[in-house]
Amino acid sequence: MPLDVIMPALGMAQETGQIVAWHKQPGDAVAKGDVLFEVETDKSTVEVEAQADGFLTDVSANKGMDVPVGQVIAKISDSAESAPQEGAKDGAAAATDALPEGKQVIMPTLGMAQDTGLLVKWHKAAGDPVATDDILFEVETDKSTVEVNAGADGFLAALLAGEGEEVPVGMTIAIISAEAPANPVTRKTSAAPVASKTAQPDTDAPPTVKQARPQAKPVPAKDRRILASPKLRRLAREQQLDLARLVEAGYPQPFHVKDLELLKSLPSGAASGTGTAQTASCLTAEISTEGFTAFSVWACETADLPDPSAILAGFCAASMGKDVNVAVETPGEVKTYAACTRLRATEATDAAPQIRLRDLRFTAITTVQVGAEEVPTLTLTRLGEGLSITFEFAKGHLNAKDAISLLSNFAGRMEQPLRHLL
Amino acid sequence: MREITLSQAVNEALAEEMRRDETVFIIGEDVAEAGTPFKVLSGLVEEFGTGRVVDTPISEPGFMGLAVGAAMTGSRPVVDLMFGDFIFLIMDQLCNQAAKTHYMSGGKLSVPLVLRTNMGATRRSAAQHSQSLHALVAHIPGLKVAMPSSAYEAKGLMKTAIRDNNPVVIFEDKLMYQDKAPVPEEEFLIPFGEANIKRAGTDITLIGTSSMVQVCEKAAEILAAEGVSAEVIDPRTIVPLDEAALLASARKTSRVIVVDEGHQSFGVTAEIASRINEKAFYHLDAPVLRMGALDVPIPFSPALEDITVPTPEGVAEKARLLVRGEMIDAA
Amino acid sequence: MAKKKTNSEDYLRMYRQMVRIRTFEDNANQLYLSAKMPGLTHMYSGEEAVAVGICEALETRDKITSTHRGHGHCVAKGAEFKEMFCELLGKEEGYCRGKGGSMHIADQSNGNLGANAIVGGSMGIATGAAFTSKLLRKDDVAVCFFGDGATAQGLMYEVMNMAALWKLPVIYACENNGYSEYTKTEEIAAGSITARAEAFGIEAHQVDGQDVLAVNALTTDLVARARKGEGPFFMELMTYRYHGHHVGDINREYYRSKEEEKDWKDNRDPIIRFRGYLVSEGLATDEDLDALNAEIEADAEAAVKYALDAKYPDVSEVDMHVFADIKHALA
Repeated sequence: MPLDVIMPALGMAQETGQIVAWHKQPGDAVAKGDVLFEVETDKSTVEVEAQADGFLTDVSANKGMDVPVGQVIAKISDSAESAPQEGAKDGAAAATDALPEGKQVIMPTLGMAQDTGLLVKWHKAAGDPVATDDILFEVETDKSTVEVNAGADGFLAALLAGEGEEVPVGMTIAIISAEAPANPVTRKTSAAPVASKTAQPDTDAPPTVKQARPQAKPVPAKDRRILASPKLRRLAREQQLDLARLVEAGYPQPFHVKDLELLKSLPSGAASGTGTAQTASCLTAEISTEGFTAFSVWACETADLPDPSAILAGFCAASMGKDVNVAVETPGEVKTYAACTRLRATEATDAAPQIRLRDLRFTAITTVQVGAEEVPTLTLTRLGEGLSITFEFAKGHLNAKDAISLLSNFAGRMEQPLRHLL
Repeated sequence: MREITLSQAVNEALAEEMRRDETVFIIGEDVAEAGTPFKVLSGLVEEFGTGRVVDTPISEPGFMGLAVGAAMTGSRPVVDLMFGDFIFLIMDQLCNQAAKTHYMSGGKLSVPLVLRTNMGATRRSAAQHSQSLHALVAHIPGLKVAMPSSAYEAKGLMKTAIRDNNPVVIFEDKLMYQDKAPVPEEEFLIPFGEANIKRAGTDITLIGTSSMVQVCEKAAEILAAEGVSAEVIDPRTIVPLDEAALLASARKTSRVIVVDEGHQSFGVTAEIASRINEKAFYHLDAPVLRMGALDVPIPFSPALEDITVPTPEGVAEKARLLVRGEMIDAA
Repeated sequence: MAKKKTNSEDYLRMYRQMVRIRTFEDNANQLYLSAKMPGLTHMYSGEEAVAVGICEALETRDKITSTHRGHGHCVAKGAEFKEMFCELLGKEEGYCRGKGGSMHIADQSNGNLGANAIVGGSMGIATGAAFTSKLLRKDDVAVCFFGDGATAQGLMYEVMNMAALWKLPVIYACENNGYSEYTKTEEIAAGSITARAEAFGIEAHQVDGQDVLAVNALTTDLVARARKGEGPFFMELMTYRYHGHHVGDINREYYRSKEEEKDWKDNRDPIIRFRGYLVSEGLATDEDLDALNAEIEADAEAAVKYALDAKYPDVSEVDMHVFADIKHALA
C-alpha cells in the first residue's frame, strides 16, 4: 500500500511549508531515512526524510510551492508506477486568480438612467499611492464627463478596466489596498470579469422611488425613556397600567414600586394606553459616509448650483416624489424653497412650508428629539464620518409607509448625491 | 448554649477531626509550640505531636507544594498560611497544581486539602498584612472557598472542609479570633453552599461575608429603628455559592446591597450583584449596590485605614437611598 | 512482588521498555508532523535509560512525578500505548480522558502523580508524597523527575530543605540533558548541580544517564536506603534529548550543533549501547531483539490506529472533574 508523503508541521505556528528542493525524482527508489525534500519554514530549511522504503510517485507539489501543513504531496509506492487513484490536487492552483485585498472602487451610477459608463481616463496607474480626494478616473455618461475621486487612502492595487471601455455600473473597476501592493494587477474587463457586489442599475424605475442603499437603514428611534425600576415596569405591565400617566401628572422620576398605588389612583386620561408615542413619531437613519458636502462643492463649481440649501430642498422633494415647499433651517437662518424634483427648478418662495429640513451638520448637536411639530421635520446631524438623519412627524402628517419611503430615499441621496444629478 | 471564641472553635474543629482521622495533619510556620501568632492552634502539638503538627521553615510555596503531594497520596493536610497576604507566594501550587489536578487527571487524582488563612483590615498592619484576597481564589475553578462569620461557622465549616475531597480555602477574619458566639458542645458540621439567613426582613437584603455579616447586622439594627426592615444573609461559602437563597431574598425585598471586605472592583460583591441582576432583574426596584474595601492598598495610619472598610453606618446610609427610591448615581 | 535484578528477563524488560519509549515518541512525532495531533509535545527520545533505569528499580506503589517531557516516565512506570495515544489525541479513553494531553499524561494507577507543565512545579508534590509515606508509616518512595532547567526554580530549594530536615523518602532525579529550553545549561546554572543538594546535607550522585544498568544499579541502592529512612537523595543523570525542546523547535543551530547531536546519537545512544551489551553477553541474539522491536512497532501502530479512530469525550464532560464530589460543576 502506498504511504502518503505529507507536508510536515515543523515550526510552532506554521500553516504552510515551502518546498525548496526535491532530492528524489518521481520513479526514483527511496530508502527509509533518505532525504526526500527540503522545506523552508520559520526562517530555516529542514530536510525531510522518507518514512519507508519504496518508490517516489504521485508528486503533486513542485519546487517553490507553498503547501499547507498536512497535505499529501507525494507517495512512496511499491513500484515506480503512479498509484492509480486519488489524483492529488494542486494546492496552489486555486490561488492564482485571487485579487489583492482592499477597498473596491466601482463604476458609479451617475445619470438617472445609466447602464454603463465610458471609462475615459485613469488618472493613476496600478501601484500608485492614492489619497481619498485624488481624482482617480474620468467617466463619460450620457451628458457629461465626470471626474471621480478615489474615496480612500492607500495604493492602487488593481486596475480592472481599461480606458475606452464601456463598464457596467456597479462593477468593480479598481482596488485600493492599505499596503503597497507587491504585484499590482492591470487588466481589462473583457479579460476577467469580476462579479459585482453592488446592486445592478434599476433602469426602469422612476427616479424618485429608487430604493435606498442598504446601509441607510431606517431604525425607529427610542422613545423618551421613563425612568422606572424593573420591578415597577413588570408590575405595571402585568396590571396594564401606563407609567406615562405618572409623567403627565408631573410626578418626579425615577419611579419605583412605591409609586404603584399612586399610578393606580390616577384617572385614566386620554393619553393612557398609548403613551407618548401618540403625539410624535420618529424615525432615524444612519449613513456611514456622507457624500453631500463634496457634492455641493462640485455642484457649485461645475453645475452652477451655488446654494447647498436649495439642493437639500430639492433632495427633499425628490425623496417625496413631488413638488413641495421645504423650509431649510440652518443655525441663524430659515429659507423656504418651492422645491422641485429637478434641482435646477428649485427656487425660494414665501409660501408656507410643507416640510422642514433642519441642517445641524455644522453644530455640536448629535441627537435630537424635538417631538412632532406643525410640519414633518428632517434633522441632519453628524455621526462620525457619516450622518444621522432624524425624521419626526405627527400621525396626522403622513403614514408610516410613506415616512419610511421618504427617509430612506433621502438618506440614499445624502450618501450618494450623484444619483440625483440631472 | 456555651459561648467560645472563634479561635477556640477552629482549634476544636481541628482537634476533633485529627482524633477522628489519622491522615489529617497540620503544616505551616510556627504551628506547633507557638500555636501560630494568633494562638489559634495552642495545645494541638501536645496532643498530636510534631509528626502531625508540623513546623516548617519560612517556605510558603514549599510547604504548600508538599501538602498538595501529600493530599494526592492519602493524607489530608491542613495548611496554615500565617497571613492571607502570603497567598501570592503560593499561587502556583494552589492554582496551577491543587486546583487543576483532579480535572487534568480526568478525575483520577484528587487533592483533599484545606488551606487555612486569614483576612481583614483595621489591625494597623499596613498593606502586606491586611488584605482580603478571597476573590482571587474564588476565581479559580477547582477551589472551594469558605468564609466563616462567627465561631459557630468557623467550627462547622472547618470540619466540613477537612472531610471534603477537594482543595478548600478558609479565610478567617483575624480581627474576630477573640469574638465569642454560641457553639454547641455536640458535634456538628455546616454543609457548603448553604446560606444562612441571619435576620429576616422585607424592605432590603444585606448580603455580607465574614466580618461584614456583623456589619450588616448592625446596619439592620440602625435601619430597624427607622422603620426599615432589612434581611441579612451570610452565604458562608462563596464557592459553592447558595445562589438560590440569595435570589429568593432579592425577589422578596427587591433591593440588595452586597458587602464584602475584598477590594470592591472585580470582587465578590460584583459577582453576587451581577448574578442577582441577571437572574432577578424583573424583581428589582433599585440597582444592586456593591460595598467593598476601597480600591487602595490598605494604609497604616488609623485615620486612613478605618475609612477603607465598609461600616454599619455606611451600609445603612446606602440602604436608605435604595428604600426611599432615590436616584442612584447617574441612573 | 519483588523483581530479581540479575536475570536476563529483567535486562530484556529494560531493553523492551526503552524501545517502547523510543517507538512511542517516533509515532507521536509522526502524528504531530502529519498535523493529526492537537497542540505540541516534548520528545523524550535519547533519554530512555534514565526513566527506565529508575522506574525498573521502583514498585508500582512507589510514586513518581513527571515533567512536560513526560511520555518516557509514563511508559517506564507501566502505562499502555493505547490509553497514551488516546490521551495524546484528546480522546475519551485517554488516561486523563483527554483533559490533560501530552503535558499532563500519566497512568495514575501505576503511581504516576502526573506530568507537570510548570517547570519544577512537581517538586513539592513528590516531596509531599514522601511525607505521606512517612506520616502513614508506609515505606513507599517518591521519585521526582525534573530537568536541569528546573534547578533554577526556588521551590526546589525549599522542598529539599524540608525533605532533608525530615528525612523524607524522596529521590530528586535531575535529568541533565544539557539544555534549559533553548539555552545551554552552563549559561543558566552557576556552580555544580549536585552541590546544590549537598548544601542541604543530601547525598548526591552524578551518573551516566545513557547507561541503563548504571542508572538502575544506583537507583536500586538509593530506593532501598530511602525505604529504611536514609533519604532523601539526589541524582544528576547526564543525558541528551535528540529532538528540540519541543516538536516545533527545528532551527537549533543557534544553541547546539548538528555534529553534537550526531555524536550523541551515533556513539552514546542508550538503546544501541544496551543492545550491544545484551548480544555480546549472550543474553539475546540480534534476531530476538529485531523480533522484539517489530512486535513493539506493531503494537504502536495498532494503538495509533485505535486512538485515531477513538471517540472524543462527550461535550457534557467539560464541567466534570472540576470538583471530586460534584458531577457537573456548572449544573
